[in-house]
Amino acid sequence: MMLAGVAGLALTVAGCGNKPEAAADKGSAPAGVAETDYPERPLFGDTHVHTGWSADAGQDGAVTGPEDAFRLASGEEVTSNTGQKVKLKRPMDWMVITDHSDGMGTINEIQAGNPEMISDPFLKRMYESMKSGDEAESSRVMLELIQRQSDGKLPKQVMDPKWMVSAWQKTIAIADKYNAPGRFTALIGYEWTVNAGGGDNLHRNIVFRDASDKAAQVLPLTTFETMDPEKLWAWMAAYEAKTGGKVLAIPHNGNLSNGRMFEETTFTGGAMTKAYAEGRQKWERLMEVTQIKGQSESHPSLSPTDEFASWDLWDRGNLNGLGKRPSMYRTEYWREGLKSGLRLEGTLGANPFKYGANGATDTHTGLSTFEEDNFWGKFKSVEPRKGRWSQRLMGVGNPGEMASWEQAAAGTMGVWAKANTREAIFDAMQRRETFATTGPRMSVRLFAGYDFADADLGSLVKAGYTKGVPMGGDLKPAPAGKAPAFLIAAMKDPQGANLDRVQVVKGWVDASGKTREKIFDVRWAGDRKPGLGGKLPPIGNTVDLKTATYSNDIGAAELTALWTDPAFDPKQRAVYYVRVLEIPTPRWTAYDQVRFKETMDPKVPQVHQERAFTSPVWYSPA
Amino acid sequence: MTLKTLLREPLVHFLGIGLLLFGLYALVAPADSGGDSITISRAMVDDLKAQHQKLWGRPPTEAELKGLIDSRIADEILYREGLAMGLDRDDAVIKRRVRQKYELIAEEEDSAAPTEADLEAYLKANPDRFRAPPIVGFTQVMVPTDGTDSEVEARAAALKSALEGGADPAAAGKPTLLPGRVQPMALDLVAREFGERFAAALATAPQGAWAGPVVSAYGLHVVRIDSREPSGVPPLAAVRGEVQREWENERRLKARAARLADLRAGYDVVVEP
Repeated sequence: MMLAGVAGLALTVAGCGNKPEAAADKGSAPAGVAETDYPERPLFGDTHVHTGWSADAGQDGAVTGPEDAFRLASGEEVTSNTGQKVKLKRPMDWMVITDHSDGMGTINEIQAGNPEMISDPFLKRMYESMKSGDEAESSRVMLELIQRQSDGKLPKQVMDPKWMVSAWQKTIAIADKYNAPGRFTALIGYEWTVNAGGGDNLHRNIVFRDASDKAAQVLPLTTFETMDPEKLWAWMAAYEAKTGGKVLAIPHNGNLSNGRMFEETTFTGGAMTKAYAEGRQKWERLMEVTQIKGQSESHPSLSPTDEFASWDLWDRGNLNGLGKRPSMYRTEYWREGLKSGLRLEGTLGANPFKYGANGATDTHTGLSTFEEDNFWGKFKSVEPRKGRWSQRLMGVGNPGEMASWEQAAAGTMGVWAKANTREAIFDAMQRRETFATTGPRMSVRLFAGYDFADADLGSLVKAGYTKGVPMGGDLKPAPAGKAPAFLIAAMKDPQGANLDRVQVVKGWVDASGKTREKIFDVRWAGDRKPGLGGKLPPIGNTVDLKTATYSNDIGAAELTALWTDPAFDPKQRAVYYVRVLEIPTPRWTAYDQVRFKETMDPKVPQVHQERAFTSPVWYSPA
Repeated sequence: MTLKTLLREPLVHFLGIGLLLFGLYALVAPADSGGDSITISRAMVDDLKAQHQKLWGRPPTEAELKGLIDSRIADEILYREGLAMGLDRDDAVIKRRVRQKYELIAEEEDSAAPTEADLEAYLKANPDRFRAPPIVGFTQVMVPTDGTDSEVEARAAALKSALEGGADPAAAGKPTLLPGRVQPMALDLVAREFGERFAAALATAPQGAWAGPVVSAYGLHVVRIDSREPSGVPPLAAVRGEVQREWENERRLKARAARLADLRAGYDVVVEP
C-alpha cells in the first residue's frame, strides 16, 4: 500500500508531461489530430500480437520484442526470429501488443531485495518515507530524486542497470514511444490467457484507451489471480474507477473453447442473471471471429444451408488438442452466440452475447502479417521456409492435433474511427463500429433505419448517420407497418481482389422461441441469376496455381445496395450483419508452393475466398 | 534546467517511475535466501499488499492476504525443491527468460538521454528516415465506367468540363464510398486508400484545376488538387520525439550486439560438424 501511494505520486508527476499545454510548448509533440464529423475511412490494424516477451513465443525461439513489433507495423524493416528481413508493403494504421499477462512481471525480480541499497542515506530516507506513508515527505523525496537525476548525483546503486522496470512498464512505455497520432496509433493492451480445464480457450485481449500514465497505475490481471471473467470485469471497473481511463475486452478462439465460450451459465456454473448479461455486454464489446488458429464465425454443422460456412475450421479439439464432441459447437461460434444472445435476452432482460466483429492475427512472432503473400506464421518454427506446410503445429499427439498448413493467414479489423488516434480508435471499438476481415483491407459500410430511400445510396455516409444507426448499433422498435432497411456498401481492397457478393446474415428468435438464421444475397458482381433454391452460382475462378496469381477480370470493385428485410416481424428479436466475399484468390500455401518450388499434399487447400464480416445491428421489439 | 522543464522530460518520468516502482519493490522484497528456512518478512507482506492494491484498487482482505502469503510460501518451497532436482535445466522457457533479462540489462546499460547535438547529428546523418511525405488535399469525382472506352473517355471529358463550369463535385459523377473532398493527407496514406497509381498521378497533377481522368484501384476519377505541401526534412524541433526514439533504438540494438560479441569472445565455442 505504501508502494502504491508513492507510485501514485510518481504518476502524478509523469502526468504533467501529458497536459496539452506542456506538449504544445515543447514543439516536438505531434499537432493535435482533429476528429472528422463522421468516420471517413476504415483504419486497419491488429488487436492481437505476441512478441518474444510472451513465454510461449519465447519458448519457440521468438526473440522479437515489442519495439520490433511496432516498428514492423508502422512500416520499418525488422529482422525476423529466423534472421530474415521483413518489411510490410503496406504498413498498418494501428496495432495493439497483447503479450500474455501471465509471467509478464518476472523481469522486475532481477534484483529482488538488496541490502546495499539501504546503505545509501538518500535511498534509506526514500524507503522510510514510503513505509511511513507520509505523503508530504514522499513527495519531497520524489522531487529530490528528479533533481539528483538531472544533476547526475543519483546514488551509484540506482544507476546500476540491474534496476529494471518490469515488462509491463516497459511494454507501455514502448507503446507511448511509437504512438504517432494521425499516422500510426500504438495502443496499450495485454492478453488474459484463461485455459480452463486443460486448454479450453477463454482468452481475452484487454485494450486500453489510455497512455502509460494511466496504464502504469495498475498491474495487468493474470490467471494466477483468477480465471473467472466476472473477476476480469471487476478488475476493469477498478481500473476505470481509479484512473478515469477506459478499457475493453475482446474474447477469442471460441472455436477452441470446447463449448465454453458461449456456455449459458456463469464461469463457475451458476445461472446467468441480468446483471451478468449486462456486465458481459458492457466490458466485452467485440469477438475475434478470425485469426491464425481458425475462425469462430460459423460452423457448417450449425449453418448447414450456408455454402460459405466451411472455411478455416479448427474444430477438432481445444487449445491443447483435447477432443471435442459435436454438441460443443453450438456454444463456440459467434453467429450462433448472437442468436442465443437474442433468446437469452428474452428470458434475462439483457443480451449477454452482444458482440461486434473483430479480426486479428494472434501471431507469436512479433510480426503481424495477415496477407496471403506475406504470411510469417504463428510461431518462429513456421516462419517462411521450404516444407513448413507439413510441420505438426499444435496439440501434437492429441485428437485435435493441427498441422501447419491449417494455419489461416488472418486477419485484421477495419475500424470506422473519426481520426487515427488512440481515443478515436478505442471509441469506435466501444461503439462496435468495426468489421473483421480475413486479411484484405476492404471497406464495408452498414447502416440500418426505417426512412432510407434509393436516393440515399448517392450520399450513403451522410444519410446513414443522420437517418439510421451504423454497424454495432441498435434499431429502435419499428414504427407501425415499417420494416428496417439497410444501406450497405463494400469496396475492394485497393491493392487486392475484386468482390464476389455482399450478403446479409440474419438471426432471429421465432414465435416458438427457437433461434433461426437465413442468409440473403443482396448484391453481386456480373449478371448471375439465382438458381435452384435461390442460390447464386459461383463467380468463377481466375487463380493460376503455377504462378500464384489471379485476375480482377471478374468481380466488382464496389457493391452497394439498399436492402429491406422481406420477412421482418416487429415482434421478434433479430440481429443482422453483412458478409462480403472476394473472388477466389491464392491461399498462402499457394504462394509457398511457388516461392519454394514444392508440391503439397492434395488435401492442402490452395484457393479460397477471403471475406469480411461487419458488426451486427440488433433489433428488439418495444 | 529548471525543475518545471525537467518534469516534462519523458525520460525523467520513465526513470522516476522505474526507480520508484521497481527500485523500491526490490527494497522491500528480500532475496531468495535458500536453505531450509523461509522468512516472510514484514516488507514482503507489505509488498504483497501493495501488489494487490495495484491490481484491484483495494487492499486484500485477511483471507486474501493469507492466500497470497501461502502461495508465496509454496512458490518458495517448490522452487527450491525443483532447483535441487535440476528442473530448471534444459527448460527453454527459463533459458529464454534469463536471456531476455540479460539482453534488456545490456540494452539499458547506457541510458543517458541524448544531447541536442546527438539528435542534430543523427537527423543530419539520416535525413531520409525523417523526411515528411508530400501532403495533398484534393477533390475527386468518379467517372461511370460502363460502356466502350471511347464512351467512357467522352464521359470523363464532359464531366471535367462540367466541373470546370462550376458543377457541384458532391453531386457530379458516379456515387462512391470514397470521400469526395479529401482533407490534406500524406501521399503515402493516399496510396493506402486509393492505390499506388492514383497517388503517383496526384504527385504531379496541377494545383487548382480539374485534371484527369486518373486511374485508381476503383476506377477513373477527375481530380482537383486543392492544396499541396512539398516533401522535406523537418527541423529537429518538429520531429524530436521520433529522432530520439530512433537514436535510442539504434543504441539499444548496438549495445545488445556489442555485449554478446564481448561475452562470446571469452568463450571457446565449438560447433561440431
